[in-house]
Amino acid sequence: MASFQHPFQCLQYVNRLADGQQDVLVASAGRHLYTYDAATGQRLDVWPQDVDTSESAGADSTEAQAHLEKEQNPSSVSKEQAEQQPAPKKGSKDKGPAWSNIPLVVVSLDGKYVAAVTAEDKCIRVFTLSEEGKLQELSSRTMPKRPSALTLNPDGQTLLCGDKFGDAYSLPLIPGDYVKRAEVQHYKPLGPAATSLTVHTKRNLLSLEQQRQQLSAEKKAAAGEKEALNFEHQLIIGHVSVLLDLISASVSGESPDSRARSYILTADRDEHIRVSRGLPQAHVIEQYCLGHTSFVSKLCIPSWAPKVLVSGGGDGYLIVWNWTEGQIMQKISLDEVVQTQDVIVRGIWEVSLQQPAGPVNAILVGLEGLSQLLSFTLEDDHTLKFQGTIQLSGNVFDVTGIPSKNTVAVCVDTIREPNSTNMWKSSPGTPQTLIETFQVSSSEGSLSWSPADDSMVTEINLAGTTDLPVNLEPNQKKVFDDSLYTLVNLRKMKFYD
Amino acid sequence: MTTPPPIKRQKREEYRRELAAQQAVGHGDVEVKLPQKRFFRQRAHANPFSDHKLEYPLSPAHMDWSPHYPAFVDNDSSQINLAGARKLTKDVEVVDIGCGFGGLLIGLAPLLPETLMVGMEIRISVLEFVTSRIQALRAQQHRLKAAAASQNSEAALAEVKKAAEEANVGGQQADEAGTMSSIIPGNYENVAGIRSNTMKFLPNFFGHHQLSKIFICFPDPHFKARKHKMRIISESLNAEYAYVLRPGGLLYTITDVEEYHHWVLRHFQYGTDQDGEAERKAGGIKDLWERVPDEELEADPCVRVMKFETEESKKVTRNKGNKYVAVFRRKADPEWA
Repeated sequence: MASFQHPFQCLQYVNRLADGQQDVLVASAGRHLYTYDAATGQRLDVWPQDVDTSESAGADSTEAQAHLEKEQNPSSVSKEQAEQQPAPKKGSKDKGPAWSNIPLVVVSLDGKYVAAVTAEDKCIRVFTLSEEGKLQELSSRTMPKRPSALTLNPDGQTLLCGDKFGDAYSLPLIPGDYVKRAEVQHYKPLGPAATSLTVHTKRNLLSLEQQRQQLSAEKKAAAGEKEALNFEHQLIIGHVSVLLDLISASVSGESPDSRARSYILTADRDEHIRVSRGLPQAHVIEQYCLGHTSFVSKLCIPSWAPKVLVSGGGDGYLIVWNWTEGQIMQKISLDEVVQTQDVIVRGIWEVSLQQPAGPVNAILVGLEGLSQLLSFTLEDDHTLKFQGTIQLSGNVFDVTGIPSKNTVAVCVDTIREPNSTNMWKSSPGTPQTLIETFQVSSSEGSLSWSPADDSMVTEINLAGTTDLPVNLEPNQKKVFDDSLYTLVNLRKMKFYD
Repeated sequence: MTTPPPIKRQKREEYRRELAAQQAVGHGDVEVKLPQKRFFRQRAHANPFSDHKLEYPLSPAHMDWSPHYPAFVDNDSSQINLAGARKLTKDVEVVDIGCGFGGLLIGLAPLLPETLMVGMEIRISVLEFVTSRIQALRAQQHRLKAAAASQNSEAALAEVKKAAEEANVGGQQADEAGTMSSIIPGNYENVAGIRSNTMKFLPNFFGHHQLSKIFICFPDPHFKARKHKMRIISESLNAEYAYVLRPGGLLYTITDVEEYHHWVLRHFQYGTDQDGEAERKAGGIKDLWERVPDEELEADPCVRVMKFETEESKKVTRNKGNKYVAVFRRKADPEWA
């Protein structure tokens, strides 16, 4: 019996045609990154190459299971597989990689580098994308907290990373030789920071005495500082909240001779959208865009309308902003558009497609656990006009435009029933639909989307990804569900009096 | 079967009910007593990362200040904000972050009688005390004014004078249990307390460059390194303070923990170790702040209030502890890079 396959979580188009090279699709599914020839759909590479996924999918599924049940003992993994594996990891006994999914994938502007975040080990990994579409891991940098947003600075040389602790860091895309800065000798008290002048109760004084004794006992051990990040990085922005999205933007100056100004926009779980200056002045906050009443999960500034921000999150509204002024241009109730309660915005994508009559620009909005994409166009007065929905075979995960074919590719959930985040299909289809593509036609300002017939899609769907283990227990299924549908947990508890 | 609440809590609740009833009578002839702190104590720490059950406006333009500053509500009732609330005649421009029992506000009130000041406190019970204290002080002022106005006789004035002298002899201007017996500028109409988590929601209350002063007095030192992210001073929060503070505005800090003082200096990039700090990029938070020299601070009455009139500073004085003051002036925004 065929088993379910990991759906694509991220999908990115890499345009390299200008360089005379084939264009490429980069996708993540389960623990793997894949590259495909965007013209033919031929698979070019899989990372990590621990097992040949197309042939010994069974062995791979054992591994996935091993990851789920952490107490798995290593002997149950077949010897054959252990030999097959070149074992590129550091953890000697652990068979599988230390992560179960790759939630963030970013491609550099020149198409030469791919940056991806592996979830559980909090690692930002940068790859070179070779001419043949092969991925070569250049660096892996473990962040202090799990990254929740990743983007490139407009200079193309710097990664900006937001984490679930509310902090945003900048780090060079290509890490240079990191010379650990001579440890700045901060003022350090010899004993605890508290003194008998600052604590007074009997118990506190007692514990202070204990701390002092402990300190003198461990004096040498204490000399070993907590290990700092061993690569170049800079804390640039901090929210006291979970940072959910981070984008960079650039606006040309008011007068023609003034230089373009760059900005960083960050969104958090406490309804804020913060507009800071771009590097190196990210500590200067220029504006707040306040208007959402629940967490803000996604920000999008269309490249063709850089003064417009579209944001969405857990409150069921899409807000269109004049973001440099913090001004709301429009609020669209998504609950009304899709006739569903409590929708959460999962993704907002800008796509730009060439048509005989000129370029068609659209904003596509995907909602958590829903199998449709909402299509909007931006009007001249900077408001969005609803253009209908695109129906898909499964819940939407990611969208990317494929300019070379004038289509939009959408990766969808292969496992769960459409519009459900936890009801698994009774059986996987063959072949499973991992991605679908659509083309657009526009007349008199209205768009209509139709499925595109593309052998590339057939090829990718046929090749598939890695199999999930067969016969999963409900709690194991839930682990998979929770790794892909995380947004609902961001809602705040409702308090009742 | 439910067990009755502990006796301590029963007493507290009874006390607060009585106090509320007394204040509801308002400006009558009954003498309004100030609340007693012991019925409002709460453990000194609150988790700033937790969601709590907080009320905060969608944006500064949605904040209803009118119940907090009734004397400053715009007489023109057509003047309303985005949430439909009556506007004030002026904006709040001084904030005490973590105001505790409100000593600083009470001390500052007569110094800046025409400036609206707000104390923000995350602990619910402590904030109730502050609110109750301000209510009582306002009621007393009202009574004193009424007495002075209605009689306008020498007798009344003498009475007020005598009372004022008595109070001064005691060296206590506004004793917790006692009454305030002189009319002070501003009549405490310019101070208020609200409950909030400023680490998360400061920009919901105040707009860009709205404030002229921010006070951070004796902040929770969060001694353990693991909890340092909970400290109210950090480079990322300083960026937020710079957003709400106008150029030229001041941020006052005071602490009795030497290590915290150095932490403060470090996070405004005024390290004690100049060579190490000089290495930092020019584009740091130092773009936005400059430290105010000590000579200037001696002339600032706000510093005196902060050093000697807040509850915590009195406690530190009693315990013969040290006080470390650092004040920073908000510079103008740097040129765009």
